[in-house]
Amino acid sequence: MSSISLTNSQPYNYDIIRKFTVMAIIWGVLGMTAGVYIALELTWPAFNLDIPAITFGRLRPVHTTLVIFGFGGSALFATSYYVVQRTCQVRLTSDVMANMTFWGWQIAITLAAVSYMAGFTQAREYAEMVWPIDILIAVTWVTYFILFVSTLAKRTQPHIYVANWFFVAFILATAILHIFNNMEVPISFFSLKSYSLHAGVQDAMTQWWYGHNAVGFFLTAAFLGMMYYFVPKQAGRPVYSYRLSIIHFWALVFLYMWVGAHHLHWTALPDWTSTLAATFSILLLLPSWGGMINGIMTLSGAWDKLRSDPVIRFLIVALSFYGMSTFEGPLMSLKSVNALSHYTDWTIGHVHSGALGWVAMVTFGSFYHLIPRLWETKMYSDKLIFLHFWLATVGIVLYISAMWVAGIGQGLMLRAFDEYGNLAYTFIETVEFLYHPYAVRAFGGMFFVAGIIVMAYNVFMTIRKGRIEKAALEEKLAAKLAKVQG
Amino acid sequence: MFEWLTWFTNMENTKPFALVLYFTCFVGIIAYVFIGKKRAKRFEEYKFIPFDEDS
Amino acid sequence: MKHETIETHAGILIVLTLIVISIGGLVEILPLYFIDDTVEEVKVDGIESVRPYTPLELRGRDLYQREGCYTCHSQMIRPFRDEKLRYGHYSLAAESKYDHPFQWGSKRTGPDLARVGGKYSNEWHVQHLVNPRSTVKESIMPNYGWFLENPLQFNDIADRMRALKLVGVPYSETQAEYELNIKNFGKEVANQLDITQAEANLIEQAVSKNYDGYIAEITEMDAMVAYLQVLGTMVDFKQFDDGYFATFR
Repeated sequence: MSSISLTNSQPYNYDIIRKFTVMAIIWGVLGMTAGVYIALELTWPAFNLDIPAITFGRLRPVHTTLVIFGFGGSALFATSYYVVQRTCQVRLTSDVMANMTFWGWQIAITLAAVSYMAGFTQAREYAEMVWPIDILIAVTWVTYFILFVSTLAKRTQPHIYVANWFFVAFILATAILHIFNNMEVPISFFSLKSYSLHAGVQDAMTQWWYGHNAVGFFLTAAFLGMMYYFVPKQAGRPVYSYRLSIIHFWALVFLYMWVGAHHLHWTALPDWTSTLAATFSILLLLPSWGGMINGIMTLSGAWDKLRSDPVIRFLIVALSFYGMSTFEGPLMSLKSVNALSHYTDWTIGHVHSGALGWVAMVTFGSFYHLIPRLWETKMYSDKLIFLHFWLATVGIVLYISAMWVAGIGQGLMLRAFDEYGNLAYTFIETVEFLYHPYAVRAFGGMFFVAGIIVMAYNVFMTIRKGRIEKAALEEKLAAKLAKVQG
Repeated sequence: MFEWLTWFTNMENTKPFALVLYFTCFVGIIAYVFIGKKRAKRFEEYKFIPFDEDS
Repeated sequence: MKHETIETHAGILIVLTLIVISIGGLVEILPLYFIDDTVEEVKVDGIESVRPYTPLELRGRDLYQREGCYTCHSQMIRPFRDEKLRYGHYSLAAESKYDHPFQWGSKRTGPDLARVGGKYSNEWHVQHLVNPRSTVKESIMPNYGWFLENPLQFNDIADRMRALKLVGVPYSETQAEYELNIKNFGKEVANQLDITQAEANLIEQAVSKNYDGYIAEITEMDAMVAYLQVLGTMVDFKQFDDGYFATFR
């Protein structure tokens, strides 16, 4: 490989992967920092500084968008391009299209963040982008689909590897969700303001069908694709059971689409819809754990690597959190539990055990495998990877424990009655109670951000090292060549 | 023409219908995937695809 | 068909995946448009209780969205004893049938606002929005002083109403639409829903009610408070039998 890649006729397009990888880390640092900042605002409202652009309400979508679509999205572009090329053993069919997806995506994320701070939003969670950005995303996404599928079609390997099924499902589902959820009517061609096509109960259902499947396909199916390639590669062992992956793939993609309405338990949504969603949410435990078991069992027999290989640690912790949060999810979708947990920080904690524990950790692990290969060198420092691992893990544990206390505590306080049958607490008393958990949450977030900053430094030094080594090698070659010719 | 669709609007019809349909489908897939030694062996070969590239 | 057929043909994989992922959404979303009981019928003497927002309230609602209020406040009361005591009657689907988009929310960092209308005075709202900690000491809400400083921009109010009309909100432009509104909502409301009179109506409501207590100018605060004061006030639950709304659930 290395001998080929020194020449210009590189078999794979690594350039696009490098670009997306770097951007994923940059968006990660920015998005998670925004997260810590809004956590501070909730603890000490003075952090809002009376500046409209950085008040909680405007900065919260900036945080979610940068982290989900900026960090997560860029990481998925990078790894899906890597995996599809390596497992199909062909180069991406078009460099131009690849670059279109890169610029389209980065511009969309940047515009989204800036427009939220300026007060332009659709006010629908995780789909806040205004209509011109929605169109840009749709075009970028279709390009991505065509590029990915045409690369699959050109493969030299007869079989499509399981990781690619997940990427295909993710690309298709995201396209459908994005288009149907963002049907809206702008007030004029020159205004960014638009109104959603749906209203009230139908709008709520459509939005949470989108919202939960952004979790199901964007943050789960696609990252499972990542898992199915990078876990076996890093462990040096094939995936535990290919047959299990067949079952769990079809079950997962089928079941996920039904569960969105569990975000609307006890609301004005008809009972039949939310009951159906709760039922499917519980069924969803099976394929979720199928994936987790398949990942974890891949490492059986190689457990000693946990001690020596920090990358494996990231991957195994990611899978553990995946298992934990896909157990917690069905639990919270039970109507009786949801009555307590809904509207509280328990939901926020649950999301973050998935987003930090699963999505971010599996991305970090995959990146530490990927980056040395992209820049043809070794990671600058293994010690810093260990440091990152501990900072991240401690951060997550602080975060979700604080949110359990906050969410369950507030939920119980809100439904408490005194001996005369009156409400035991006013709302503001429950807000006071949140002060300490919120402070701990912000603190945990800082650990996690510190971790990704350590990673950014480590990656920066690795890239520099890769460049220096490459330059030295080329100099040597040139010298040799000159000698021969001389 | 679409009269027969009204049968599905009754939850007491739809619930058992959906249960039977999905359950048979699920059991069918499980049976197909896990029964048969030859098929099992064939399936498990495909997991080595990511290692083909290292030649 | 062998599973290998799917694994070796990208087209089949795509089509099958597409079918499998479409079923859930179709089954859960489409019926909501066709089952009549999804949205309750709420009429008193043949007049619809729930009406579209007046121009001023609509601008207030836009500001509510601009500031991301939905990230901390829900507008959806659940049918529980504690929520009834704290916020009032549980929310009906009909109460958000003109809400494009819905603002039910997902998190209560602050209290639910579905029935906040009429609970506090205009003066309280102004004071609270400008400095929440001056009325509720432990509040963690940001200060929204700029509502009082920014003049309300409403030159495109007719465009906004037209866009909403396009997605199904019964604002009127023609005489026939206006008459229909009189029949459904009564004359007073129908006048407010008339797009041709939008700007005049907005100014009239802001000046006569003077929500922000500040006469010289129509500020964003006028719109914001007008919106907050109408939330949850449209349905008079005394007019309906106990158990009437339960028949829709």
